[in-house]
Amino acid sequence: MTIALGRTRARVRARWAETATGYALVALPLAVLCVLVLMPASVAVVETVIVTGPDGPRLSLDHYTAFFADPFARRNLIYSLIQTAASTATVLAIALAIAVYLRFGTGRAVRVVHALALFPLFVPAIIAAYALIRFLGPNGLFQMLLERVGIGGYASPYLTPLGPFIGFVWEGLPLPVLVLTAGLAQVSDHAIEAARDLGAGGVRIFREILLPQVTRSLLIACSLVFLGIFGSYTIPYMMGPAAPEMMGVFMQRTYDQLQRPQDAQVQAVVSFLVCALVSVAYVRLILKERR
Amino acid sequence: MGRRIDPATIAGWCLAAALVLFLVGPILTVIIYAFAEQWRYPNLLPTRWGFRFWNVMLGRADVAEAISISLAIAFTATTLSALICWPAAYAFARLRFPGRQPLLMAFLAAQAFPKFALFIAIAVVFLRFDLVGTFWGVVLVQLVNTLLFMIWIPTAAFRAIPPALEEAALDLGASRLRVFIEVTLPQAAPALAASYILAFVGTLFEVDASLLIGAPTIRPMPILMLSLSAQVVVQHAAVLCVILWVPAFALLLLSRRLMSARTIASGLGA
Repeated sequence: MTIALGRTRARVRARWAETATGYALVALPLAVLCVLVLMPASVAVVETVIVTGPDGPRLSLDHYTAFFADPFARRNLIYSLIQTAASTATVLAIALAIAVYLRFGTGRAVRVVHALALFPLFVPAIIAAYALIRFLGPNGLFQMLLERVGIGGYASPYLTPLGPFIGFVWEGLPLPVLVLTAGLAQVSDHAIEAARDLGAGGVRIFREILLPQVTRSLLIACSLVFLGIFGSYTIPYMMGPAAPEMMGVFMQRTYDQLQRPQDAQVQAVVSFLVCALVSVAYVRLILKERR
Repeated sequence: MGRRIDPATIAGWCLAAALVLFLVGPILTVIIYAFAEQWRYPNLLPTRWGFRFWNVMLGRADVAEAISISLAIAFTATTLSALICWPAAYAFARLRFPGRQPLLMAFLAAQAFPKFALFIAIAVVFLRFDLVGTFWGVVLVQLVNTLLFMIWIPTAAFRAIPPALEEAALDLGASRLRVFIEVTLPQAAPALAASYILAFVGTLFEVDASLLIGAPTIRPMPILMLSLSAQVVVQHAAVLCVILWVPAFALLLLSRRLMSARTIASGLGA
Protein backbone atom coordinates (compact mmCIF):
# COMPACT_ATOMS: atom_id res chain seq x y z
CA MET A 1 0.00 0.00 0.00
CA THR A 2 2.65 2.49 1.06
CA ILE A 3 4.90 1.36 -1.75
CA ALA A 4 2.12 1.87 -4.32
CA LEU A 5 1.40 5.32 -2.94
CA GLY A 6 5.09 6.17 -3.10
CA ARG A 7 5.19 5.07 -6.73
CA THR A 8 2.18 7.21 -7.65
CA ARG A 9 3.76 10.15 -5.95
CA ALA A 10 7.02 9.58 -7.82
CA ARG A 11 5.08 9.40 -11.07
CA VAL A 12 3.24 12.64 -10.34
CA ARG A 13 6.54 14.28 -9.49
CA ALA A 14 8.08 12.98 -12.75
CA ARG A 15 5.10 14.37 -14.65
CA TRP A 16 5.61 17.79 -13.09
CA ALA A 17 9.32 17.67 -13.81
CA GLU A 18 8.61 16.83 -17.46
CA THR A 19 6.14 19.72 -17.81
CA ALA A 20 8.54 22.15 -16.15
CA THR A 21 11.45 21.03 -18.34
CA GLY A 22 9.25 21.33 -21.44
CA TYR A 23 8.27 24.90 -20.66
CA ALA A 24 11.83 25.82 -19.74
CA LEU A 25 13.15 24.54 -23.06
CA VAL A 26 10.56 26.24 -25.27
CA ALA A 27 10.56 29.51 -23.30
CA LEU A 28 13.46 31.21 -25.11
CA PRO A 29 12.33 30.83 -28.73
CA LEU A 30 8.79 31.73 -27.65
CA ALA A 31 10.15 34.87 -26.02
CA VAL A 32 11.92 35.76 -29.27
CA LEU A 33 8.68 35.20 -31.17
CA CYS A 34 6.75 37.46 -28.77
CA VAL A 35 9.32 40.25 -28.52
CA LEU A 36 10.35 40.35 -32.19
CA VAL A 37 7.11 39.46 -34.01
CA LEU A 38 3.97 39.91 -31.93
CA MET A 39 5.17 42.94 -29.97
CA PRO A 40 6.29 45.09 -32.95
CA ALA A 41 3.12 44.20 -34.88
CA SER A 42 0.95 45.18 -31.88
CA VAL A 43 2.97 48.34 -31.29
CA ALA A 44 2.38 49.34 -34.92
CA VAL A 45 -1.37 48.86 -34.58
CA VAL A 46 -1.66 50.63 -31.22
CA GLU A 47 0.54 53.59 -32.11
CA THR A 48 -1.20 54.33 -35.38
CA VAL A 49 -4.68 54.49 -33.85
CA ILE A 50 -3.60 56.95 -31.15
CA VAL A 51 -3.39 60.58 -32.19
CA THR A 52 -2.01 63.22 -29.86
CA GLY A 53 -4.04 66.40 -30.15
CA PRO A 54 -4.05 69.64 -28.14
CA ASP A 55 -6.10 67.95 -25.40
CA GLY A 56 -3.92 64.86 -25.01
CA PRO A 57 -3.85 61.51 -26.80
CA ARG A 58 -7.07 60.04 -28.17
CA LEU A 59 -8.22 57.09 -30.21
CA SER A 60 -8.61 57.97 -33.88
CA LEU A 61 -8.43 56.58 -37.38
CA ASP A 62 -7.01 59.83 -38.78
CA HIS A 63 -3.80 58.16 -39.98
CA TYR A 64 -5.79 55.62 -41.94
CA THR A 65 -8.22 58.11 -43.48
CA ALA A 66 -5.14 60.07 -44.53
CA PHE A 67 -3.66 56.96 -46.14
CA PHE A 68 -6.82 56.19 -48.10
CA ALA A 69 -7.34 59.84 -49.03
CA ASP A 70 -3.93 59.88 -50.74
CA PRO A 71 -4.46 58.80 -54.38
CA PHE A 72 -0.78 57.83 -54.67
CA ALA A 73 -0.97 55.48 -51.68
CA ARG A 74 -4.29 54.06 -52.87
CA ARG A 75 -2.87 53.36 -56.30
CA ASN A 76 0.15 51.56 -54.79
CA LEU A 77 -2.11 49.39 -52.64
CA ILE A 78 -4.38 48.41 -55.54
CA TYR A 79 -1.39 47.77 -57.80
CA SER A 80 0.18 45.54 -55.11
CA LEU A 81 -2.99 43.50 -54.79
CA ILE A 82 -3.42 43.02 -58.54
CA GLN A 83 0.26 42.22 -59.06
CA THR A 84 0.22 39.72 -56.17
CA ALA A 85 -3.03 38.02 -57.23
CA ALA A 86 -1.99 37.73 -60.88
CA SER A 87 1.47 36.37 -60.02
CA THR A 88 0.10 33.91 -57.45
CA ALA A 89 -2.52 32.56 -59.88
CA THR A 90 0.10 32.13 -62.62
CA VAL A 91 2.62 30.42 -60.32
CA LEU A 92 -0.02 27.95 -59.10
CA ALA A 93 -1.34 27.19 -62.59
CA ILE A 94 2.17 26.43 -63.89
CA ALA A 95 3.07 24.46 -60.77
CA LEU A 96 -0.10 22.38 -61.03
CA ALA A 97 0.58 21.59 -64.70
CA ILE A 98 4.15 20.56 -63.86
CA ALA A 99 3.03 18.47 -60.87
CA VAL A 100 0.43 16.61 -62.97
CA TYR A 101 3.06 15.97 -65.63
CA LEU A 102 5.48 14.69 -62.97
CA ARG A 103 2.80 12.32 -61.63
CA PHE A 104 1.86 10.76 -64.96
CA GLY A 105 4.84 11.32 -67.24
CA THR A 106 7.35 8.56 -67.89
CA GLY A 107 10.98 8.38 -68.93
CA ARG A 108 14.03 10.51 -68.35
CA ALA A 109 12.25 13.81 -69.10
CA VAL A 110 10.32 13.50 -65.81
CA ARG A 111 13.49 13.56 -63.71
CA VAL A 112 14.91 16.44 -65.70
CA VAL A 113 11.72 18.51 -65.33
CA HIS A 114 11.57 17.75 -61.59
CA ALA A 115 15.15 18.90 -61.02
CA LEU A 116 14.63 22.02 -63.15
CA ALA A 117 11.39 23.04 -61.40
CA LEU A 118 13.15 22.93 -58.01
CA PHE A 119 16.19 24.84 -59.26
CA PRO A 120 15.05 28.32 -58.04
CA LEU A 121 15.03 26.91 -54.49
CA PHE A 122 18.81 27.06 -54.71
CA VAL A 123 19.02 30.62 -55.97
CA PRO A 124 18.55 33.50 -53.49
CA ALA A 125 16.09 36.20 -54.61
CA ILE A 126 18.72 38.93 -54.97
CA ILE A 127 20.73 36.83 -57.41
CA ALA A 128 17.63 35.69 -59.29
CA ALA A 129 16.43 39.28 -59.74
CA TYR A 130 19.81 40.44 -61.01
CA ALA A 131 20.13 37.45 -63.36
CA LEU A 132 16.65 38.04 -64.78
CA ILE A 133 17.49 41.69 -65.45
CA ARG A 134 20.62 40.69 -67.37
CA PHE A 135 18.74 37.98 -69.27
CA LEU A 136 15.48 39.78 -70.08
CA GLY A 137 16.65 43.40 -70.01
CA PRO A 138 17.07 45.56 -73.10
CA ASN A 139 19.82 44.12 -75.33
CA GLY A 140 19.99 41.11 -72.99
CA LEU A 141 20.71 37.54 -74.00
CA PHE A 142 17.01 36.74 -74.53
CA GLN A 143 16.56 39.59 -77.00
CA MET A 144 19.70 38.52 -78.87
CA LEU A 145 18.41 34.93 -79.03
CA LEU A 146 15.09 36.13 -80.42
CA GLU A 147 16.78 38.28 -83.02
CA ARG A 148 18.93 35.33 -84.07
CA VAL A 149 15.80 33.39 -84.97
CA GLY A 150 14.36 36.45 -86.73
CA ILE A 151 11.97 37.81 -84.12
CA GLY A 152 12.39 41.57 -83.78
CA GLY A 153 10.59 44.29 -81.84
CA TYR A 154 11.32 42.83 -78.41
CA ALA A 155 9.98 45.02 -75.60
CA SER A 156 11.81 44.27 -72.34
CA PRO A 157 9.64 43.68 -69.27
CA TYR A 158 12.36 45.34 -67.13
CA LEU A 159 10.96 48.32 -65.15
CA THR A 160 7.38 47.51 -66.20
CA PRO A 161 4.81 45.65 -64.05
CA LEU A 162 5.64 42.56 -66.13
CA GLY A 163 9.20 42.58 -64.64
CA PRO A 164 8.28 41.75 -61.04
CA PHE A 165 5.58 39.42 -62.36
CA ILE A 166 8.23 37.30 -64.11
CA GLY A 167 10.49 37.53 -61.05
CA PHE A 168 7.73 36.29 -58.73
CA VAL A 169 6.86 33.39 -61.02
CA TRP A 170 10.56 32.46 -61.22
CA GLU A 171 11.22 32.57 -57.49
CA GLY A 172 7.81 31.22 -56.45
CA LEU A 173 7.66 28.10 -58.61
CA PRO A 174 9.46 25.44 -56.47
CA LEU A 175 7.35 25.60 -53.30
CA PRO A 176 3.96 24.77 -54.90
CA VAL A 177 5.63 22.17 -57.16
CA LEU A 178 7.10 20.52 -54.05
CA VAL A 179 3.83 20.57 -52.14
CA LEU A 180 1.63 19.46 -55.06
CA THR A 181 3.97 16.68 -56.16
CA ALA A 182 3.86 15.27 -52.63
CA GLY A 183 0.05 15.50 -52.64
CA LEU A 184 -0.41 13.88 -56.05
CA ALA A 185 1.93 11.03 -55.14
CA GLN A 186 -0.73 9.89 -52.67
CA VAL A 187 -3.31 9.27 -55.42
CA SER A 188 -3.16 5.55 -56.22
CA ASP A 189 -2.89 4.29 -59.78
CA HIS A 190 -5.77 1.91 -59.04
CA ALA A 191 -8.18 4.76 -58.33
CA ILE A 192 -7.30 6.41 -61.63
CA GLU A 193 -7.52 3.16 -63.62
CA ALA A 194 -10.87 2.34 -62.01
CA ALA A 195 -12.21 5.77 -62.98
CA ARG A 196 -10.90 5.34 -66.51
CA ASP A 197 -12.55 1.91 -66.78
CA LEU A 198 -15.82 3.53 -65.80
CA GLY A 199 -15.37 5.90 -68.72
CA ALA A 200 -14.16 9.04 -66.97
CA GLY A 201 -12.19 11.43 -69.19
CA GLY A 202 -8.97 13.26 -68.33
CA VAL A 203 -10.72 16.43 -67.18
CA ARG A 204 -13.10 14.53 -64.96
CA ILE A 205 -10.31 12.48 -63.38
CA PHE A 206 -8.42 15.68 -62.70
CA ARG A 207 -11.42 17.45 -61.17
CA GLU A 208 -12.89 14.61 -59.16
CA ILE A 209 -9.93 12.46 -58.14
CA LEU A 210 -6.72 14.50 -58.30
CA LEU A 211 -7.92 17.93 -57.22
CA PRO A 212 -9.65 16.85 -53.97
CA GLN A 213 -6.43 15.09 -52.91
CA VAL A 214 -4.37 18.24 -53.16
CA THR A 215 -6.92 20.91 -52.16
CA ARG A 216 -5.38 21.50 -48.73
CA SER A 217 -1.80 21.58 -50.07
CA LEU A 218 -2.89 23.82 -52.92
CA LEU A 219 -4.55 26.31 -50.56
CA ILE A 220 -1.55 26.37 -48.21
CA ALA A 221 0.81 26.89 -51.15
CA CYS A 222 -1.54 29.58 -52.45
CA SER A 223 -1.54 31.55 -49.19
CA LEU A 224 2.23 31.20 -48.71
CA VAL A 225 2.95 32.40 -52.25
CA PHE A 226 0.49 35.28 -51.88
CA LEU A 227 1.96 36.46 -48.56
CA GLY A 228 5.48 35.98 -49.87
CA ILE A 229 4.84 38.17 -52.90
CA PHE A 230 2.86 40.85 -51.09
CA GLY A 231 5.54 41.09 -48.41
CA SER A 232 8.47 41.19 -50.84
CA TYR A 233 10.89 44.00 -51.51
CA THR A 234 13.92 42.88 -53.51
CA ILE A 235 12.20 41.71 -56.69
CA PRO A 236 9.78 44.65 -57.14
CA TYR A 237 12.49 47.15 -56.14
CA MET A 238 14.97 45.81 -58.67
CA MET A 239 12.66 44.90 -61.53
CA GLY A 240 9.53 47.02 -61.17
CA PRO A 241 8.47 50.47 -62.36
CA ALA A 242 9.10 53.59 -60.26
CA ALA A 243 5.35 54.18 -60.15
CA PRO A 244 3.10 52.58 -59.13
CA GLU A 245 5.14 50.86 -56.43
CA MET A 246 4.42 47.67 -54.56
CA MET A 247 3.80 48.13 -50.84
CA GLY A 248 7.25 46.83 -49.83
CA VAL A 249 9.05 49.40 -51.97
CA PHE A 250 6.60 52.12 -50.91
CA MET A 251 7.15 51.39 -47.20
CA GLN A 252 10.92 51.29 -47.54
CA ARG A 253 10.95 54.66 -49.29
CA THR A 254 8.63 56.19 -46.70
CA TYR A 255 10.72 54.84 -43.82
CA ASP A 256 14.20 55.47 -45.17
CA GLN A 257 14.26 58.20 -47.80
CA LEU A 258 11.36 60.27 -46.50
CA GLN A 259 12.35 59.56 -42.88
CA ARG A 260 8.73 59.10 -41.82
CA PRO A 261 8.65 55.91 -39.76
CA GLN A 262 5.14 56.55 -38.48
CA ASP A 263 3.69 56.76 -42.01
CA ALA A 264 5.57 53.56 -42.84
CA GLN A 265 3.96 51.99 -39.77
CA VAL A 266 0.51 52.94 -41.08
CA GLN A 267 1.38 51.38 -44.45
CA ALA A 268 2.58 48.24 -42.66
CA VAL A 269 -0.67 47.90 -40.71
CA VAL A 270 -2.69 48.45 -43.91
CA SER A 271 -0.63 45.61 -45.44
CA PHE A 272 -1.38 43.39 -42.42
CA LEU A 273 -5.10 44.11 -42.75
CA VAL A 274 -5.23 43.57 -46.50
CA CYS A 275 -3.41 40.26 -46.07
CA ALA A 276 -5.44 39.31 -42.97
CA LEU A 277 -7.93 37.28 -45.00
CA VAL A 278 -5.13 35.19 -46.49
CA SER A 279 -3.26 35.04 -43.16
CA VAL A 280 -6.33 33.74 -41.32
CA ALA A 281 -6.98 31.21 -44.08
CA TYR A 282 -3.37 29.99 -43.77
CA VAL A 283 -3.51 29.67 -39.99
CA ARG A 284 -6.86 27.83 -40.17
CA LEU A 285 -5.51 25.44 -42.79
CA ILE A 286 -2.44 24.51 -40.77
CA LEU A 287 -4.55 24.07 -37.65
CA LYS A 288 -6.84 21.64 -39.47
CA GLU A 289 -5.97 18.04 -38.72
CA ARG A 290 -3.59 16.60 -41.28
CA ARG A 291 -4.94 13.69 -43.23
CA MET B 1 11.14 -1.32 -87.47
CA GLY B 2 10.38 2.38 -86.97
CA ARG B 3 10.50 3.63 -83.39
CA ARG B 4 7.24 5.17 -82.32
CA ILE B 5 7.71 8.46 -80.59
CA ASP B 6 5.28 8.96 -77.76
CA PRO B 7 3.65 12.44 -77.88
CA ALA B 8 3.81 12.64 -74.05
CA THR B 9 7.58 12.23 -74.22
CA ILE B 10 7.85 15.01 -76.78
CA ALA B 11 5.69 17.24 -74.56
CA GLY B 12 7.94 16.40 -71.61
CA TRP B 13 11.11 17.42 -73.42
CA CYS B 14 9.44 20.61 -74.67
CA LEU B 15 8.54 21.45 -71.07
CA ALA B 16 12.12 20.72 -70.01
CA ALA B 17 13.46 22.98 -72.77
CA ALA B 18 11.13 25.82 -71.76
CA LEU B 19 12.24 25.48 -68.13
CA VAL B 20 15.90 25.50 -69.14
CA LEU B 21 15.39 28.73 -71.07
CA PHE B 22 13.34 30.44 -68.35
CA LEU B 23 15.02 29.13 -65.19
CA VAL B 24 18.62 28.38 -66.17
CA GLY B 25 19.01 31.00 -68.92
CA PRO B 26 19.24 34.00 -66.56
CA ILE B 27 21.80 32.36 -64.25
CA LEU B 28 23.86 31.27 -67.23
CA THR B 29 23.85 34.84 -68.56
CA VAL B 30 25.31 36.15 -65.30
CA ILE B 31 27.98 33.46 -65.22
CA ILE B 32 29.01 34.31 -68.79
CA TYR B 33 29.04 38.03 -67.92
CA ALA B 34 31.42 37.38 -65.02
CA PHE B 35 34.04 36.11 -67.49
CA ALA B 36 33.36 38.65 -70.23
CA GLU B 37 35.72 41.57 -70.63
CA GLN B 38 33.69 42.89 -73.51
CA TRP B 39 30.27 41.83 -74.76
CA ARG B 40 28.93 43.88 -77.65
CA TYR B 41 25.35 43.71 -78.88
CA PRO B 42 24.18 41.66 -80.84
CA ASN B 43 26.72 38.89 -80.21
CA LEU B 44 25.41 35.76 -78.51
CA LEU B 45 28.69 35.33 -76.64
CA PRO B 46 31.23 37.80 -75.24
CA THR B 47 33.51 39.48 -77.74
CA ARG B 48 36.44 39.19 -75.33
CA TRP B 49 36.81 36.73 -72.43
CA GLY B 50 38.99 37.19 -69.36
CA PHE B 51 39.46 37.53 -65.62
CA ARG B 52 40.06 41.28 -65.48
CA PHE B 53 36.93 41.97 -63.42
CA TRP B 54 37.74 39.14 -61.02
CA ASN B 55 40.99 40.85 -60.15
CA VAL B 56 39.15 44.12 -59.67
CA MET B 57 36.44 42.67 -57.43
CA LEU B 58 38.70 40.43 -55.34
CA GLY B 59 40.96 43.39 -54.66
CA ARG B 60 38.20 45.73 -53.50
CA ALA B 61 38.17 46.57 -49.80
CA ASP B 62 34.37 47.00 -49.63
CA VAL B 63 33.83 43.49 -51.03
CA ALA B 64 36.15 41.90 -48.46
CA GLU B 65 34.51 43.89 -45.69
CA ALA B 66 30.98 42.98 -46.83
CA ILE B 67 31.88 39.30 -46.98
CA SER B 68 33.35 39.30 -43.48
CA ILE B 69 30.43 41.21 -41.93
CA SER B 70 27.96 38.89 -43.70
CA LEU B 71 29.67 35.78 -42.45
CA ALA B 72 29.83 37.22 -38.92
CA ILE B 73 26.11 38.08 -38.92
CA ALA B 74 25.02 34.76 -40.42
CA PHE B 75 27.23 32.73 -38.09
CA THR B 76 26.14 34.62 -34.96
CA ALA B 77 22.43 34.61 -35.78
CA THR B 78 22.30 30.96 -36.84
CA THR B 79 24.34 29.69 -33.89
CA LEU B 80 22.27 31.71 -31.44
CA SER B 81 19.15 30.36 -33.10
CA ALA B 82 20.43 26.77 -32.85
CA LEU B 83 21.24 27.20 -29.16
CA ILE B 84 17.72 28.32 -28.29
CA CYS B 85 15.71 26.38 -30.91
CA TRP B 86 17.18 22.88 -30.92
CA PRO B 87 16.48 22.19 -27.22
CA ALA B 88 12.96 23.54 -27.79
CA ALA B 89 12.55 21.22 -30.78
CA TYR B 90 13.55 18.28 -28.57
CA ALA B 91 10.94 19.35 -26.00
CA PHE B 92 8.25 19.66 -28.70
CA ALA B 93 9.07 16.18 -29.98
CA ARG B 94 9.68 14.21 -26.80
CA LEU B 95 8.27 15.88 -23.68
CA ARG B 96 4.61 16.04 -22.76
CA PHE B 97 3.32 19.34 -21.44
CA PRO B 98 0.01 21.16 -21.78
CA GLY B 99 -0.27 23.42 -24.84
CA ARG B 100 2.56 21.72 -26.69
CA GLN B 101 0.88 21.56 -30.10
CA PRO B 102 -0.55 25.13 -30.11
CA LEU B 103 2.83 26.51 -29.07
CA LEU B 104 4.54 24.64 -31.92
CA MET B 105 1.93 26.04 -34.31
CA ALA B 106 2.64 29.55 -33.04
CA PHE B 107 6.00 29.44 -34.85
CA LEU B 108 4.22 28.88 -38.16
CA ALA B 109 2.02 31.89 -37.45
CA ALA B 110 5.02 34.17 -38.01
CA GLN B 111 4.70 33.12 -41.67
CA ALA B 112 1.24 34.64 -41.78
CA PHE B 113 2.60 38.19 -41.87
CA PRO B 114 3.61 39.92 -45.09
CA LYS B 115 7.34 39.93 -44.32
CA PHE B 116 8.38 43.42 -45.28
CA ALA B 117 5.52 45.02 -43.33
CA LEU B 118 6.67 43.06 -40.28
CA PHE B 119 10.26 44.28 -40.78
CA ILE B 120 8.99 47.87 -40.91
CA ALA B 121 7.18 47.32 -37.60
CA ILE B 122 10.37 45.82 -36.11
CA ALA B 123 12.51 48.66 -37.48
CA VAL B 124 10.30 51.30 -35.86
CA VAL B 125 10.64 49.57 -32.48
CA PHE B 126 14.39 49.10 -32.97
CA LEU B 127 14.78 52.82 -33.71
CA ARG B 128 13.79 53.54 -30.11
CA PHE B 129 16.28 51.10 -28.66
CA ASP B 130 19.10 52.42 -30.87
CA LEU B 131 19.41 49.03 -32.52
CA VAL B 132 19.11 50.36 -36.07
CA GLY B 133 22.48 50.43 -37.81
CA THR B 134 24.06 48.03 -35.31
CA PHE B 135 25.47 44.53 -35.68
CA TRP B 136 23.22 43.14 -32.94
CA GLY B 137 20.14 44.77 -34.43
CA VAL B 138 20.70 42.87 -37.68
CA VAL B 139 21.47 39.64 -35.79
CA LEU B 140 18.22 39.93 -33.82
CA VAL B 141 16.04 40.53 -36.87
CA GLN B 142 17.73 37.64 -38.69
CA LEU B 143 16.91 35.45 -35.70
CA VAL B 144 13.23 35.93 -36.57
CA ASN B 145 13.88 34.57 -40.07
CA THR B 146 15.59 31.44 -38.78
CA LEU B 147 13.07 30.47 -36.08
CA LEU B 148 10.75 28.47 -38.33
CA PHE B 149 13.40 26.25 -39.93
CA MET B 150 15.28 25.77 -36.69
CA ILE B 151 12.18 24.63 -34.78
CA TRP B 152 10.12 22.68 -37.30
CA ILE B 153 12.74 20.64 -39.14
CA PRO B 154 14.48 19.44 -35.93
CA THR B 155 11.11 18.71 -34.28
CA ALA B 156 10.15 16.48 -37.22
CA ALA B 157 13.57 14.82 -37.04
CA PHE B 158 13.37 14.11 -33.29
CA ARG B 159 9.84 12.75 -33.75
CA ALA B 160 10.99 10.41 -36.50
CA ILE B 161 13.41 8.60 -34.14
CA PRO B 162 11.64 5.50 -32.76
CA PRO B 163 11.23 5.95 -28.97
CA ALA B 164 11.88 2.20 -28.58
CA LEU B 165 15.56 2.82 -29.29
CA GLU B 166 15.88 5.30 -26.45
CA GLU B 167 13.81 3.15 -24.10
CA ALA B 168 15.98 0.12 -24.78
CA ALA B 169 19.08 2.10 -23.86
CA LEU B 170 17.37 3.40 -20.70
CA ASP B 171 16.43 -0.16 -19.71
CA LEU B 172 20.06 -1.15 -20.04
CA GLY B 173 20.81 1.38 -17.35
CA ALA B 174 22.14 4.32 -19.37
CA SER B 175 21.43 7.77 -17.96
CA ARG B 176 19.02 10.12 -19.79
CA LEU B 177 21.89 12.39 -20.80
CA ARG B 178 23.95 9.51 -22.12
CA VAL B 179 20.98 8.19 -24.12
CA PHE B 180 20.50 11.64 -25.61
CA ILE B 181 24.15 12.04 -26.57
CA GLU B 182 24.75 8.50 -27.83
CA VAL B 183 21.39 7.48 -29.29
CA THR B 184 19.19 10.48 -30.05
CA LEU B 185 21.74 13.03 -31.22
CA PRO B 186 23.51 10.93 -33.87
CA GLN B 187 20.14 10.03 -35.42
CA ALA B 188 18.96 13.63 -35.54
CA ALA B 189 22.32 15.03 -36.65
CA PRO B 190 21.68 15.14 -40.44
CA ALA B 191 18.43 17.05 -40.04
CA LEU B 192 20.01 19.40 -37.49
CA ALA B 193 22.85 20.08 -39.90
CA ALA B 194 20.37 20.66 -42.74
CA SER B 195 18.38 23.16 -40.68
CA TYR B 196 21.60 24.96 -39.74
CA ILE B 197 22.71 25.22 -43.37
CA LEU B 198 19.29 26.39 -44.58
CA ALA B 199 19.13 29.07 -41.90
CA PHE B 200 22.76 30.09 -42.49
CA VAL B 201 22.41 30.51 -46.25
CA GLY B 202 19.03 32.20 -45.82
CA THR B 203 20.59 34.73 -43.46
CA LEU B 204 23.59 35.25 -45.69
CA PHE B 205 21.41 36.34 -48.61
CA GLU B 206 18.65 38.13 -46.75
CA VAL B 207 18.16 41.61 -48.19
CA ASP B 208 14.98 43.14 -46.79
CA ALA B 209 15.66 43.04 -43.05
CA SER B 210 19.38 43.82 -43.42
CA LEU B 211 18.53 46.84 -45.52
CA LEU B 212 16.02 48.25 -43.04
CA ILE B 213 17.86 47.48 -39.81
CA GLY B 214 21.47 47.60 -40.99
CA ALA B 215 21.40 50.87 -42.95
CA PRO B 216 23.50 52.87 -43.21
CA THR B 217 26.43 51.49 -41.19
CA ILE B 218 26.11 47.71 -41.57
CA ARG B 219 26.51 46.70 -45.23
CA PRO B 220 26.49 42.93 -45.74
CA MET B 221 27.02 41.32 -49.17
CA PRO B 222 23.43 41.39 -50.49
CA ILE B 223 23.24 45.12 -49.78
CA LEU B 224 26.49 45.70 -51.65
CA MET B 225 25.07 43.54 -54.43
CA LEU B 226 21.95 45.72 -54.48
CA SER B 227 23.96 48.91 -54.93
CA LEU B 228 26.30 47.35 -57.52
CA SER B 229 23.38 46.05 -59.58
CA ALA B 230 22.33 49.61 -60.39
CA GLN B 231 25.76 50.48 -61.84
CA VAL B 232 26.65 50.77 -65.50
CA VAL B 233 29.47 48.22 -65.44
CA VAL B 234 27.58 44.93 -65.50
CA GLN B 235 30.57 42.73 -64.72
CA HIS B 236 31.13 44.02 -61.17
CA ALA B 237 27.77 42.74 -59.96
CA ALA B 238 28.05 39.62 -62.15
CA VAL B 239 31.37 38.61 -60.59
CA LEU B 240 30.00 39.22 -57.09
CA CYS B 241 26.94 37.11 -57.99
CA VAL B 242 29.11 34.17 -58.98
CA ILE B 243 31.35 34.55 -55.91
CA LEU B 244 28.29 34.51 -53.64
CA TRP B 245 26.15 32.00 -55.42
CA VAL B 246 28.50 29.09 -56.10
CA PRO B 247 29.23 28.31 -52.41
CA ALA B 248 25.57 28.91 -51.49
CA PHE B 249 24.43 26.53 -54.22
CA ALA B 250 26.81 23.84 -52.99
CA LEU B 251 25.66 24.26 -49.37
CA LEU B 252 21.97 24.15 -50.32
CA LEU B 253 22.49 21.03 -52.42
CA LEU B 254 24.17 19.45 -49.39
CA SER B 255 21.25 20.36 -47.13
CA ARG B 256 18.86 18.88 -49.70
CA ARG B 257 20.79 15.60 -49.55
CA LEU B 258 20.45 15.61 -45.78
CA MET B 259 16.67 15.71 -45.80
CA SER B 260 13.69 14.87 -47.96
CA ALA B 261 11.48 17.21 -49.97
CA ARG B 262 8.65 16.18 -47.65
CA THR B 263 10.57 17.59 -44.67
CA ILE B 264 11.03 20.95 -46.40
CA ALA B 265 7.32 21.08 -47.22
CA SER B 266 6.37 20.11 -43.67
CA GLY B 267 8.58 22.91 -42.40
CA LEU B 268 6.01 25.30 -43.86
CA GLY B 269 2.99 23.46 -42.54
CA ALA B 270 2.08 22.17 -45.99
